[in-house]
Amino acid sequence: MKKRIIVLAAAALMSVPGFASGIIPGDMTFKLRAAYNLGGMAPLDMPAAIRSIDSYNLTASLLLGVDAGWNFGSGWGIQSGLHLENKGMEAEISTKGYHMQMVQGTNSLEGFFTGHVHQYVAAVMLTMPIQATYKLGCATIKAGPYVSALLNRNFRGLAFDGYLRQGNPTGPKIIIGNKEGEWATYDFSDEVRRFQCGLNAGADFDLSRGFGISADLNWGLTGLLKSSFTVVEQALYPIYATIGAFYRF
Amino acid sequence: MAFSVSINLSIFADIKYLTMKKLIAILAILLAFVSCIKDEPRNSECDILSAEVDESLAEHFHNASQMKISDIASNERRIVFVVRSTASLPAAVKVSFTLTEGATIVPESGSAQDFTHGPVKYTVTSEDGKWHREYEVLFKDPSLVLDKLGFEHFEEETSQIQSTTRYHVFYEMDDSDSPRNIWASGNAGVAMMNSEWTPEKFPTYATSEGYKGYGLCLNTQSAGSLGALFGKPIAAGNLFIGRFILDKVMSNPLETTDFGTPVIKEPASVSGWYKYAPGPVFTNKDNKVVEGRTDEANIYGVFWRNTDEEGNEVKLDGSNVFTSPYIIRKAQVESLPATDSWTRFEMTFDGERADAGILAGLGYSFTLVFSSSKGGDAFEGAVGSTLYVDEVEIKYMEDQP
Repeated sequence: MKKRIIVLAAAALMSVPGFASGIIPGDMTFKLRAAYNLGGMAPLDMPAAIRSIDSYNLTASLLLGVDAGWNFGSGWGIQSGLHLENKGMEAEISTKGYHMQMVQGTNSLEGFFTGHVHQYVAAVMLTMPIQATYKLGCATIKAGPYVSALLNRNFRGLAFDGYLRQGNPTGPKIIIGNKEGEWATYDFSDEVRRFQCGLNAGADFDLSRGFGISADLNWGLTGLLKSSFTVVEQALYPIYATIGAFYRF
Repeated sequence: MAFSVSINLSIFADIKYLTMKKLIAILAILLAFVSCIKDEPRNSECDILSAEVDESLAEHFHNASQMKISDIASNERRIVFVVRSTASLPAAVKVSFTLTEGATIVPESGSAQDFTHGPVKYTVTSEDGKWHREYEVLFKDPSLVLDKLGFEHFEEETSQIQSTTRYHVFYEMDDSDSPRNIWASGNAGVAMMNSEWTPEKFPTYATSEGYKGYGLCLNTQSAGSLGALFGKPIAAGNLFIGRFILDKVMSNPLETTDFGTPVIKEPASVSGWYKYAPGPVFTNKDNKVVEGRTDEANIYGVFWRNTDEEGNEVKLDGSNVFTSPYIIRKAQVESLPATDSWTRFEMTFDGERADAGILAGLGYSFTLVFSSSKGGDAFEGAVGSTLYVDEVEIKYMEDQP
């Protein structure tokens, strides 16, 4: 299975020059898509300081786009397009001794936070997938890389209802309250990468001559935040499932 | 095109209902695979949360509420029990502690120790074994009455976290030449956020240009961008008799000033010398300029009954220092006009007379407060306001002719 995905991805990459020059023979289809992104930004290895995920809200993460596909015959083809989408999440976690730093201008407060963190992430982006496709009955299996350019970036939140031990666990204990003026806000929006890339795999299912539904998995390979940014210690990867529908013409 | 999109969306709505649950389940499995919640790490904190002596020592205390010390600030390294007389203290005293969960203490909690030769050192170790804190526990006599406060005595304290940051801590010497740590300021809160700060950069410090020798300098400062973030844009210079509770600096700044110390005399008046220059721009707690308002300095004193009817300790802090029903007498300097030459100030205590019996039993506490901005506790004032104070003298009712 893994091999096949690699083969598909390689096929997609190799077709790029052909795609660009528009000399590929075979029939061409266009798909107009609407879909819903479902997922989050997750560390690959959850730090022990995160004790529980208390709430997780799906933000309105819609995708609208158009894809063009070429079939070369014998089932194989490639597909690419442009998607306008947003990916976001809103989560509340409980922490115990979670390393964090609040930076504001020239002042900073660094230490270990035990309490609650409300995290909001949202980004609007233009995504271009390049996928190898293989037709199997009414399904078109697709896989390949994607790149996203972020048009707007949000990574902010607040720490509340807990305390920060400054510097180390024996440092001054700063009680952080649970209302405005008593809690600590942070905004690292500028530290979100402008470009993301990742891998996508999924399938389009034809339901009728024109309509169909789709399911995809998008696995980010680049961390959400710039690697030069060290306040949030764990790299967070955007991992999203996308379900949607399309109209083919 | 608009047509096709709307049809797409209606199909989308149908399948959404059918498969949403399944998808979320798949996603949950996926995320669980990616990242599991780990086992809870063992505690790394190692604080003494409270300390108490057992009933058998009751006769050595003026007041049962002084036998347990419960609100120990996180930056505190000394735990002080005030007894009637250290001279009569037995050579074996058991002090029990509550600690951060899982932490251990050496010598053991509740073990008999000899406090008659000065402080006993205790070491607390965190549950994970990686962190230690040292505390000194001591028993001392009640504060003797001080009548002359010259701000000649101070030491440099190094910030617990910012090792390059040092600030002044004032103390007084009593008649028997022992230091009395009666003074507190908000310096520790400012130190938290600033590295490489020398004492003179702090809102509260000892100046060599006092009226006589060293004097007290208080100045209102910007609390920096981080202070503004918490809605605390300025830090007024302050000095008061009491303790500064650093833990509440962000969540409840009015409660950081744990005012007062028990006294055995009743204050009548306070006088001294001052210089004052208000800062140029007055700002409110949102850091917005308030046109036409000039900053004012503040000097006041409060004397109150420190135990309620049920024998509980009555604490005064910034939230109730003017309003508590337990206040017996108070005084405030009416106005401190701007002046750049040393000028005399005086204030007289008004209110009821104290009960002699309660007074002898340390049932009253007293605080004296100096601030470079009157509204500093509400984060109102002018950056740059500077108050100098020196040669303060307290007169007591008992000493009146």
